Amino acid sequence: MAFFLQYAWLIPVFPVISFAVITLTPIRRSKLVSGWLAIGLMMVATLFALGLAFGVAQGLHWRDGQLIQVEAAGAAHGEEEDAAHGEEGAAVHGEEEDAAHGEEGDAAHGAAIIDFPKANVIQRFAWAPTGDAVFEMGVYIDPLVAAVLVMVTITATCIHLFSLGYMATNPRQSRFFSFISLFAAAMLAMTMADNLLLFFMAWEVMGLCSYLLIGFLFERPQAYRASLKAFITTRIGDVLMLIGIVYLYTQAGSLAFGMREGEVFNPEFLARIGSEFNALGMSHATAIALLLFAGTIGKSAQFPLHVWLPDAMEGPTPVSALIHAATMVSAGVFLVGRMFPIFQADGGAALFWVSVVGAFTALFAASIAVAQFDIKRILAYSTLSQLGFMVAALGIGGWVAGMFHLLTHAFFKALLFLGSGSVIHAMEATPAIEKIHHKDEYAAQQTAQDIRNMGDLRRRLPWTFWTYTAGYLALAGIVPFAGFWSKDEILADASLHGHWVVYIVLSVAAFLTAFYMTRQWRAVFFGEYRGENPIEFVNPEAQAAHGHHDDHGHHDDHAHDSHAGHMNTGNHWHENAPMTAALVVLASFAVTGGFFNLPFPIPGGHWLSSLWGQEAAKFNVVVAGMSLLIAGVGIAAGWFYANAFKTAHDRDPLDARVPALFNVLNRKYMIDEIYAATVGNLTSALAVIWSWIDRQILDRIVNGTGIFTFFLSRMNFIVDDTVLNDGPDAVADGTVASGKAVRRSQTGKAQDYLEMLFAGVVVLALVFLYVFQ
Amino acid sequence: MPLPAYLMAAPDGVPWLTLLVLAPLAGVLLVGLAALLRLDDRLVKIGVTAWMLVPIGLALAVWAGFDARSTADGQGVIQFVERVPWVQAIRVDYFLGVDGLSLPLVLLTVVMAPIAALASFNVSTNARVHFALLLLLEAAMLGYFLALDFFFFFIFWEFSLVPAFFLIQVWGRENRRYAAFKFFIYTMAGSVGMLLLFQVFYLSTRFAGQPTFDLIAYGRLGQGLPVAGFQGDLQQILFAYIDHLGVADVLGRFPLLYTSIAFWAIFVAFAIKLAVWPFHTWLPDAYGEAPTSGSIMLSAVMSKMGAYGMLRILLPFTPQAAQYFAPVIGALALIGIVAGAFGALSYSNGDIKRLIGYTSINHMGYVMLAIAAAAALPGGATQESRTIAVNGAVMQMVAHGLSTGGLFLLAGALYERAKTYDLSQFGGLRVTMPTFAGVMGVAMFANLGLPGLAGFVGEFFIFRGAWATLPLFTLLATIGLVITALALLVMFQRIFLGPLNQRWKALPDLNPLEFWTMAPLLALLLALGLYPAPIMELANATASQMVSVFMNVLS
Repeated sequence: MAFFLQYAWLIPVFPVISFAVITLTPIRRSKLVSGWLAIGLMMVATLFALGLAFGVAQGLHWRDGQLIQVEAAGAAHGEEEDAAHGEEGAAVHGEEEDAAHGEEGDAAHGAAIIDFPKANVIQRFAWAPTGDAVFEMGVYIDPLVAAVLVMVTITATCIHLFSLGYMATNPRQSRFFSFISLFAAAMLAMTMADNLLLFFMAWEVMGLCSYLLIGFLFERPQAYRASLKAFITTRIGDVLMLIGIVYLYTQAGSLAFGMREGEVFNPEFLARIGSEFNALGMSHATAIALLLFAGTIGKSAQFPLHVWLPDAMEGPTPVSALIHAATMVSAGVFLVGRMFPIFQADGGAALFWVSVVGAFTALFAASIAVAQFDIKRILAYSTLSQLGFMVAALGIGGWVAGMFHLLTHAFFKALLFLGSGSVIHAMEATPAIEKIHHKDEYAAQQTAQDIRNMGDLRRRLPWTFWTYTAGYLALAGIVPFAGFWSKDEILADASLHGHWVVYIVLSVAAFLTAFYMTRQWRAVFFGEYRGENPIEFVNPEAQAAHGHHDDHGHHDDHAHDSHAGHMNTGNHWHENAPMTAALVVLASFAVTGGFFNLPFPIPGGHWLSSLWGQEAAKFNVVVAGMSLLIAGVGIAAGWFYANAFKTAHDRDPLDARVPALFNVLNRKYMIDEIYAATVGNLTSALAVIWSWIDRQILDRIVNGTGIFTFFLSRMNFIVDDTVLNDGPDAVADGTVASGKAVRRSQTGKAQDYLEMLFAGVVVLALVFLYVFQ
Repeated sequence: MPLPAYLMAAPDGVPWLTLLVLAPLAGVLLVGLAALLRLDDRLVKIGVTAWMLVPIGLALAVWAGFDARSTADGQGVIQFVERVPWVQAIRVDYFLGVDGLSLPLVLLTVVMAPIAALASFNVSTNARVHFALLLLLEAAMLGYFLALDFFFFFIFWEFSLVPAFFLIQVWGRENRRYAAFKFFIYTMAGSVGMLLLFQVFYLSTRFAGQPTFDLIAYGRLGQGLPVAGFQGDLQQILFAYIDHLGVADVLGRFPLLYTSIAFWAIFVAFAIKLAVWPFHTWLPDAYGEAPTSGSIMLSAVMSKMGAYGMLRILLPFTPQAAQYFAPVIGALALIGIVAGAFGALSYSNGDIKRLIGYTSINHMGYVMLAIAAAAALPGGATQESRTIAVNGAVMQMVAHGLSTGGLFLLAGALYERAKTYDLSQFGGLRVTMPTFAGVMGVAMFANLGLPGLAGFVGEFFIFRGAWATLPLFTLLATIGLVITALALLVMFQRIFLGPLNQRWKALPDLNPLEFWTMAPLLALLLALGLYPAPIMELANATASQMVSVFMNVLS
């Protein structure tokens, strides 16, 4: 165990190695070798993460080359305090912490500040000098981190495995593996970061990977536009988060996680920033928390920066599963969870806004999902909604519930996305879609993703059906699947602490979740197969795209999700082994994930709560019964609703009855259009204005100065020429003229000279005679 | 003559810095010799590039012998000092030395010069002259960063314009005459004020009894540190002379007034070089019209000469005025950040090089912001915050030099293939040029400040340092971070993404020469992004000492 604790920092290094090797060496020429290299190293990372988690669960701590055993994780902060810090010469701080912990002891909820479990591993090195101090980087592993690491490595391994099958015909499959490895590395590094700067760096690298992977099929205008949108939208949140980070750094003097003096969770520091106010009349803690939360809003796609996530579905499906469902988007939630003491330091003002944004997004996104037809977009809006649940849970102080839901959601949402990938993969091989594919590859893919064109796939894709059903029931919140337990804990927290508005909003969202998921599930897997005569997607870019597709040659060899070649094999429905394996692994977690934190006082019950050193959630029969009832009603409603899909061209029942409402929902409340009309136009206008200022004002001043200088020199020239030059010139001219006159006399003839000599003598003689006499 | 504690000669007595400045000049002689022998152009190109390894070696030797942590008498110790009396009549010394502020830039210069040379391998007209000018430019820049006597400092400052001017004028693009002329005259005109000011400084110190052109002595006087033979600080010395002239009776007896005049005279000179708004309009023209090598040297090194001047002269000489006017400077920096970003965006469907040029204005705006923040009034800001701001500025300069140099190199490589810089003409090149796209992608992401690459480190520490004194400007400066990213990503998209424009399907991918020219830049960007200590360590102690003066209210 000591080994896994000591070398925990290797966990993100493994995927970095696959990234570097695939990118820089000729390995990339072989898709299979690249793929298995990435999968293999990811599995090693998983092994390390599991070993680490096992050690952490046993209460092992690694400090300065020594292994320390603590009886039960999280149960005994006090005793290990001195052991943990003593050798660092900070025994005093240890005592202070004990005191601080003691006060908070039993008050896990309410205004009291969360009592994080002790870090099991802290390893740091000097990174950059900052005046007299030094900025340190390193890893910080506590039980929360260990749990998230396990989740990330397992889902990432499954998704790597799935990609082996799903991306098999893509000529850039190696590049795909290198990108998702880098992504996994960044996510792992972020999770293990021991300070907010490293956290942010990894966070941004994930943003980069997201950009690269959404735009993986970069020939498509939709794909590169979506990738740009994702990068810029999240960056808006990120720069505000950056300000939050520098704000916190300025206040705390460091960004290191931990409770010692100078670290950001130090109780005295938290008390200070919670009670001191800045120039805007906000406490420092509120301002920092809200700025950091801006990062969450961007990364976890909360309203109003949610617009990028649905568009991100332009990326290949494993990307949607890995980045835009399981891991990266939950990074935003993890940020709030990690920085929770800062959020709590102001007594609830910041968390209030967190709960408002979360609850609103949960409902808002769920309502949009009701009116979508694209299987991936439904899941995307569902992701927004579930992230809203987590954010709201944190906002009402349900730290365990929020983190627990983060873990279970990652598994079942990755499962659902991969299941949808399997469905799309199969759909794209159907003759009707193949036919469209020959005309327009993008339209074919979009058509293949339309749930109206599916139906009865449970017989055609049994593995996909059963695993998808597990994920679906988990998401809908049916006992005993994973989502039930975690969602129930959120709702129980909300009701227990009197956050009734949040409770009602989330319940409505939960109802809608059950409803739209059943609608989708039935439309995809039950009824008649409707794909023979699909409703075809009309590609608005078709014109542009075809302009360059004169030769079909490159068209076939560049990247797409589809698979030619199955067409003539008779039975085109098939499921691919690596893909199925990934689905099964994830499905097992979707079924069992909830058991890690059962709200009952049985052996193994409250396991995560006690691992994380938090108070165990109380099981509330009424709340659990209510959520089951809500889910049941939602499922029933969705089941009957989806009955309407008989052929691909049937209208949605809501569309038939209230077209205006359906239209608003289907077009996502027009948020994209509103943004384009306001922020988009403003940005373009500002660019035009600034360049106008440069060219028409500043450059004219510069050029004007230049021209004025020329004018002055011209004037100077004229003055010189007429007044100053003419005088000397006249002298010169006179000299020249006299010279010329003289030269004329220089004839070279001896007679002339004798004549002049004679004349001279005569003149001299006359002068002599008349003047001197 | 014995040196004070804050000056330290080379321990081994070797004139390393003189050799460093002379090495490129010797290269010029070698080019001349090659011309006499009528050697092949290609041989000259390779020879010059190889010769440029000599300054790298010398700079590394200096780096190895440099003790970044030593401080004495309230400042970072100037090391490898060479000081010889030169023109006794006006007390000019031949005075070279290196400290934590100049060494990073010296290293940047010696790295970027061979990159620029490699970027010029396709120059066919007057190749020998072109390469000789590059060497000359390198020598002038090195001399500028190393000279510590105003006389030599100013000579190198002005002389660096000459090779740059000819590079633009002879090998530039369509509008090169206008650009070269604007660049030359603008910079030259801007430094007139500084030249005159130094005459006044000289006379002031003569009036005080000991005339000098020693920049370090002036800096110490400005900060109120003791200098042998002087009483009082520079503000008092200047005022005493002004008073003696009788000017103070006319304009008023306010010492800060005359310090402020001095401040602005210096500021304008360096602000033009740094392309601080509104003195920035020469930059897109010069960068845009210059040949690739010129763009690289101008953007990577020459713009840093302005920032270096501010750190070496502006802040130490006139700290009172710097503190007083810091909000104004900060505001100009902010406007430059925003203007540069939107200016870049306005070229997102136009000229690649101008777009990159505008992003440089944006990035130099951050450096300016850091300098303003380091000097701004206390307001609770710690010395650490100010040091971080200066460290960040130094890091940003190095990182920006590496990444922008790389971007210009690739823009040039693209031009050689497509014969156009017009972004609206491209599309989909990533299909046929994956390596090119990857390499340019890394350079671009480094430029827009992606963590893990060097650009981010500088920006982060600048924001961290600036937040303590100028929070509002820092907050608004984030607009620049978003918009620059947008502009660069749109540039990348227009060149590489989307369906392949069939017109370019035959363009070749990055060739080995280009790849291996870029490789060191990318490696440095990555290495410094992951572990910036080697550069930041250099500046830290010097910066920390320098900003301590701003911990007090000065005026």
